[in-house]
Amino acid sequence: MATLAPTLGQRAPRTARARSVRRHVFIYLGLVPFMIIAVGPVIWMFITAIKQDADLYLVGAIPFWFNQPPTWKNFDFLFHNTFYGDWIVNTMAISFWVSAITLLTAVPAGYALARLRLPFAENLGIAIFMTYLVPAIILFIPLARVVTELGLQDSWWALVVVYPTFTIPFCTWLLMGFFKTVPFEIEEAAMVDGCGQLGALLRVVLPVSWPGLITAVIFSFTLSMQDFLYSLAFVSISEEKPVPLGVATELIRGDIYFWGSLMAGALLVGVPVAIVYNFFLDRFISGITGAAIK
Amino acid sequence: MTELSAGGVPPSTSLSVAVGGRVGVQSWWRTPTARRYLFGYTLLAPAVLYVLLLVGIPFVFSLYLAMSDASVGVPVARFVGLENFKTAVENATFYVALRNTIVFTLGAGIMKGLLGTTLAFLLVQPFRGRKIIRALVVIPFTLPIAVSVLGWKWMFDSQFSVINWALNKAALIGPYGSPDWPVWLGQPWLAFFSVMFVNVWRGFPFSAIVLLAGLTSVPPEIIDAAKVDGTSFLKRFRLVIVPMIAPILFIGSAFDTVFTLSDLSIVYLLTNGGPDGATEILPTLAYNTGIRGGALGRGAAISLFLFPLLLPAMIMLLRTLRRRQY
Repeated sequence: MATLAPTLGQRAPRTARARSVRRHVFIYLGLVPFMIIAVGPVIWMFITAIKQDADLYLVGAIPFWFNQPPTWKNFDFLFHNTFYGDWIVNTMAISFWVSAITLLTAVPAGYALARLRLPFAENLGIAIFMTYLVPAIILFIPLARVVTELGLQDSWWALVVVYPTFTIPFCTWLLMGFFKTVPFEIEEAAMVDGCGQLGALLRVVLPVSWPGLITAVIFSFTLSMQDFLYSLAFVSISEEKPVPLGVATELIRGDIYFWGSLMAGALLVGVPVAIVYNFFLDRFISGITGAAIK
Repeated sequence: MTELSAGGVPPSTSLSVAVGGRVGVQSWWRTPTARRYLFGYTLLAPAVLYVLLLVGIPFVFSLYLAMSDASVGVPVARFVGLENFKTAVENATFYVALRNTIVFTLGAGIMKGLLGTTLAFLLVQPFRGRKIIRALVVIPFTLPIAVSVLGWKWMFDSQFSVINWALNKAALIGPYGSPDWPVWLGQPWLAFFSVMFVNVWRGFPFSAIVLLAGLTSVPPEIIDAAKVDGTSFLKRFRLVIVPMIAPILFIGSAFDTVFTLSDLSIVYLLTNGGPDGATEILPTLAYNTGIRGGALGRGAAISLFLFPLLLPAMIMLLRTLRRRQY
């Protein structure tokens, strides 16, 4: 037990059990503030989303309490009085095309960098990854020109063109690491059996690499969902917006905020994204920090 | 020369060359190595071209734009040299934005480092419910940023702020309307603190998880060995744990700095630089000048001022990435 508590429990309590209980109490007490700060806002957003409008502005009432029965009408409002349905469709379509472009480019690139012992492969991989770090705030003005030249301004297709600028570098890097873990032997066996190099990649390596491919798709989706600047700069027609931009810009009339619907619209898409991202967070971290941690 | 001995390229690939007859001196282009290179660079081409066309060229183009008087709706731009940079620097708002950007990034970075370290040390302990708690604590980082900022905007509401309600019940602030009632996004200092707080809220789980990944890679034997040697906790912390986690903390901070410097959504959605420029940062200034104001050249120049701020973080990351061993 002693090794389990390297930082706590310096004074030896009577029994192992008492010590374990004390240790747990310490840890939970330390975690409570973090939990409140991290989860509290989300709970408050949810309460707001299912409250009646009048209930939100009751002076003197406890904000966490339902003084009028909860309601789904804020969600109703989204689908009937706004373009929320369109935004969801746009978001899905953008994610689909961005994932497709990312897979078609990052998979071959990651494979080539990891497997084919090309000269300068390592440096090339790093160079590609570094472009992930060139921030949108420097690129968005010149990209606005590119988008205009392509005739895509005010269409979600502009985002399909632009989002791969960060998904390709990130996923190439990720897949490069992934392909390094696939054993060389299966490829060699395939080639002995008469497959060419391309055949070995398509028929043998890709089928066993599906976890890597799924990860790449997930990141194409979650990283696209984190964008705000590009959509703000390139898409200003209501029906063409993706969800985050639509919710942030369309549910406000002048100075009036439709808080209930705002929170409903934000959570309806935000929570699923957060859950999916949560499952892949460790991949994200090891992807970007692989350097120091391995 | 054929590299039959090199692993990964089985003899079978060279068969097709050999079938061609008895070739005395093979041309280099037909060797398996050459074919592998050709195959490899063909596979690389789409990704490299995409990144080159839509990141590399736009980056160079932004340098050009910054030295031109390009604006929205005017197709032909004149070369104006460093005029845009000069105009930017002569503008008082620019200095406010630059100072705010630096204070914001450093201040929030330190807070994220402290909170993240504390949280990582708590989460590295084995305890019941650790997985669930970890999953809940990282929610701020995984929620799409625009979504969570809207939640904060509602929580910072001037009248119905749930934070104020709680503080009021705890008798820490006065009633609504009194001078002791904070209007989070309406008073300059409070507004600056608020946008920084939201950035910290979003970033601390990232710092924690990066550190956690690093801490779990510290072999427990090392800590045990130090313990057996009878070193005190503080000494162990200083001599063993800090040197091992410092590099990871630096990497985490470098990434976080890049994310923070380039993010405009928090400030844009909460205050859009106000009140009175108190929360103006370079990204919002560049956006408002370049896209809203239509002065593309000046906007590009302002955003390029971010580059020297980003450079140290990027160089540090580049160096650690190059050290990566397989």
